[in-house]
Amino acid sequence: MVEAGRSPNIEILSNARLEALEGKPGQFVARVHQEPRFIDEDKCTACGMCTMYCPRPVVDTYNERLEVTRAPHIDYAQAIPSSYYIDAKACLRVNYETCNLCAQTCTAKAIDFSQKPKEHALEVGAVVLAPGFGRVDSSVLERFGYGRYPDVVTSYEFERLTCASGPTEGHIVRPSDNKTPRKIAFLQCIGSRDETCGNGYCSTVCCMYAIKEASVAKEHEPDLDISLFFMDVRTQGKGFDEARQRAQEKYGLHVIRARVPRVEQVDGMLALTWTTDDGKSHSDLFDMVVLSVGLDSPEDAQSIAELADIKLNHYDFCKTTAGAPLATTREGIYVAGAFQGPKDIPESVTQASGVAAMASELLAESRNTCTISVTYPEEDKAIEAEEPRIGVFVCHCGVNIAGTVDVKAVRDYAGSLPGVVLYEDTLYSCSQDALKSIAEKIKENRLNRVVIAACSPRTHEPLFQETLRSIGLNPALIEMANIRDQCAWVHSQEPEAATEKSKDLVRMAVAKARLLEPLAQPTVDVTPNALVIGGGAAGMTAAISIADQGYRCVLVEKGRKLGGNLSRLAWTLDGQDASSVLDSLKKKVKDHPNIHVQLESQVESISGYVGNFTTTINSKGKTKVINHGVAVLATGAREYKPSGYLYGENNRVMTQLELEEKLKRGKAFLKNARNVVMIQCVGSRGEDLKHCSRLCCSQAIKNALMIKEHSPDTNIYIFFRDIRTYGFHEDLYREAREKGIVFLRYMPDRRPEVVRRGRGIAVKGFDRLMGEDIEIPASLVVLSTGIAPGDNVELAKVIKAPLTSDGFFLEAHAKLRPVEVAVDGFYLCGLAHGPKSLDESIAQAKAAAAKAVIPLAKGKVAVAPIVSQVDQKTCIGCGICESLCPFNAIRLVKVNKRRKAQTITASCKGCGICASHCPTLAISMGGFTDQEILAQIHAFSGGKCEDEA
Amino acid sequence: MSQEKANLKENEMTREGFDPHILGFFCHWCCYAAADSAGVSRYQYPPNVRVIRVMCTGRIDVRFVLEAFRCGADGVFTGG
Amino acid sequence: MSQYGAILVLGGGVAGVQTALDLSELGYYVYLVEKKASVGGVMAQLDKTFPTNDCSL
Repeated sequence: MVEAGRSPNIEILSNARLEALEGKPGQFVARVHQEPRFIDEDKCTACGMCTMYCPRPVVDTYNERLEVTRAPHIDYAQAIPSSYYIDAKACLRVNYETCNLCAQTCTAKAIDFSQKPKEHALEVGAVVLAPGFGRVDSSVLERFGYGRYPDVVTSYEFERLTCASGPTEGHIVRPSDNKTPRKIAFLQCIGSRDETCGNGYCSTVCCMYAIKEASVAKEHEPDLDISLFFMDVRTQGKGFDEARQRAQEKYGLHVIRARVPRVEQVDGMLALTWTTDDGKSHSDLFDMVVLSVGLDSPEDAQSIAELADIKLNHYDFCKTTAGAPLATTREGIYVAGAFQGPKDIPESVTQASGVAAMASELLAESRNTCTISVTYPEEDKAIEAEEPRIGVFVCHCGVNIAGTVDVKAVRDYAGSLPGVVLYEDTLYSCSQDALKSIAEKIKENRLNRVVIAACSPRTHEPLFQETLRSIGLNPALIEMANIRDQCAWVHSQEPEAATEKSKDLVRMAVAKARLLEPLAQPTVDVTPNALVIGGGAAGMTAAISIADQGYRCVLVEKGRKLGGNLSRLAWTLDGQDASSVLDSLKKKVKDHPNIHVQLESQVESISGYVGNFTTTINSKGKTKVINHGVAVLATGAREYKPSGYLYGENNRVMTQLELEEKLKRGKAFLKNARNVVMIQCVGSRGEDLKHCSRLCCSQAIKNALMIKEHSPDTNIYIFFRDIRTYGFHEDLYREAREKGIVFLRYMPDRRPEVVRRGRGIAVKGFDRLMGEDIEIPASLVVLSTGIAPGDNVELAKVIKAPLTSDGFFLEAHAKLRPVEVAVDGFYLCGLAHGPKSLDESIAQAKAAAAKAVIPLAKGKVAVAPIVSQVDQKTCIGCGICESLCPFNAIRLVKVNKRRKAQTITASCKGCGICASHCPTLAISMGGFTDQEILAQIHAFSGGKCEDEA
Repeated sequence: MSQEKANLKENEMTREGFDPHILGFFCHWCCYAAADSAGVSRYQYPPNVRVIRVMCTGRIDVRFVLEAFRCGADGVFTGG
Repeated sequence: MSQYGAILVLGGGVAGVQTALDLSELGYYVYLVEKKASVGGVMAQLDKTFPTNDCSL
């Protein structure tokens, strides 16, 4: 997020709304109305004086109205834009021309009441709608006692209560008496899966966040007794089922499958009554009830739809189709995030990248026509060469560090260290205003080395390096001391020891900083084309998108034709004909001049690095070499084939996909089908596959409805564990129940069995409501067998890409980088990443295409400067380094007839094995030289031994 | 007071009161990342380790370890 | 026909911000229109996120 505030090509218009949209794809004019902030963003230093002096209290909506702030304020310390603003509705000066106190207290003279609303007419080629989601109407919450009983809170409020920087600093208290509650109940599906409030869909995310909030609460208060009331536990996301299981066991959460109809107050306690699916009624008292509120369509959905001239679906979310999940009904206007349908963060981030690809496809010809390129001032080599003048900035990180570590003591200690000429503390070093002030102080004090004592260099070093570059210093001249992640957070019970440790870490960082040297910033050119591995729906979509964005790509498919699993599907989950989606993809791939298809081909080896890969493929027995800059993995997955359930032994037992193929060929076989029995989670969720396969519930119900449509008299029974028809798929589930499809829940220790009965077969199960064993004679038994990973192991080895424990490719970061692989230059989409539906695969493929095109569009990639460097004068050419390098990044060359080692900079990962094994110490590592590390070791001793020793 | 100090001194030598000075070399990609995520999860552990980040444990020269001991480390932790 | 190389992104939540970042990296100028005073949306209100419990900022 901080990055968005720093990009020169992103203009943030806050307090703004779209008023009109005219024109056509490629040439829209958007009229945007912007309300004034009354505080000049460039002048505001976020000191907070205005908030302190303002006489006018307003409720703090960021903290869910649990706290009070003042008319001039900032939503939270790391907010972007990072300046304060004045809440015009509350301000006395704006409304009554009185007061003006804040303007007088503001030393930066940032407060400007003469600001007027602005009207912008923006020329844009495309529009992306990402307005998010709305809040469920309070009348729905009131049904559960919200507003009437103070101890009934929403999940949003509870989120702020569990937050360390929230109104209670993370202490969980009952609003009625500010005491720690003992028993908490979470009620799920508030405003979701509830037709009485118009929200028939499932909000998808509440099951997960409820478990998260319950876990966090238990961490704060281990003695809490927490019950969660689910209708179904819907943790179908990648790795979510395992996470839920772990949380349930670790924190002893009680999971109850029941819908609680209402909340009553009895003697200051909250009474709940519920009925479980065995027909039994229960009741209990709780201290606090958390309502897991669903995601509604945005409040302004209707007006957005009118302005943009797009259609909404029957729930007022944006209307899209399974084949084109990110396209609205109007060309050139795209949709991402919760407005497309309720979804979690990884899905939103994926869609966001996906729409970026869509816009980039449309506007490929005008790429780089409106952008501003950043130029950095020239490096001031003279200052860099001077004696080290070190500045140390110690970060509070709000209460994250300062709550444990005595920041001021650490700061003053830093001042006593040799070479340090400036030592300061900052509230949030990473906030934009702090970065600005750090930059100014570096300049004022002619600093040439900087130490930031804050969080982890893994996450924040690039940000501070950027700050250095912006003022003409080499980015290598910074060192971070990690006093948050590896100190304050892990020693929160021992503030004194944590402060001592922080001082030691700062001393070590300063010792290293004294020796830091500027490093060169090499870049390498990018081969401007892509390789896509896998020719299913995801692979084809990615290839088309890359090609439409203007880059050539080779599509490698191991089978004899394109299509993958999509060619076995009859209908998409929203009822479209799957073959029309398939045919249109295939046609585009075949006709596109930028796409070259290689069928019956497999990748044998890949060498190189992002920007310049060389891949050998085996194509029908022949070896071919492809040079490419990036690669997309879309290798798919396969339907799991179970053992047991008479599968493979009796032709009346089949998988869902086999049923679908059969239905595709004709419906005649349904004529005499009296009973069809479906069994869910065959294979999935612990039977053979650990994971939930995500789409089997929706697929099974879709197929069941299809059977009902053609043969209404057929009885259909579905044995399930949790029905996970998330999002709008919930409509299918409701329709199925209305049409008389019978749903029978089973527990994993009592799985249904398929048995032979004479010439036929039957399914034996347990009816939980009746409390008795049942046996259903079956004309057909359909097994939802789930999705098993493809043969990813070999490819993963070739790429050196990690797999999950389930055998799918692992993304670089579950939320922030969901379509990137940890190895630079590789991107991931479709079933190779994990089970998902067609629309999700397509959105993800678009996202992978966007990410893959980024290096191609830039034309250059920067190489990290932490590479090894050989001093060829000292090198004796022994070759130990060459034999040890895991990346083949160092080799021996002849220099004046002598063997000398040489680093291949672009392949070097900076591991330093060469340096640590060089017998003549001829190799040094950028940013990690022997001298620097030894200086850290000596500083560790705290003066007990000298650098020269 | 002096009695207390003496007790402390004694304790230092016993297992319970031993308060070692440990130097850690953490690999940027795994152990250092894991130490960060321990922080994110608010795991608590004794505050005895001081960390030097390296890009790979392969960077660790035997000299570094010997130097650490020479400089008074009671233990050296390498994580990678 | 000439096209504009800029894009309007309506909404400054996690989806809008990510779209803006990717588009700027792809070579387009982005107007990020947010009705509130700061971007980040609901994600910025979350303390931690499931299942890794990372900081959401």
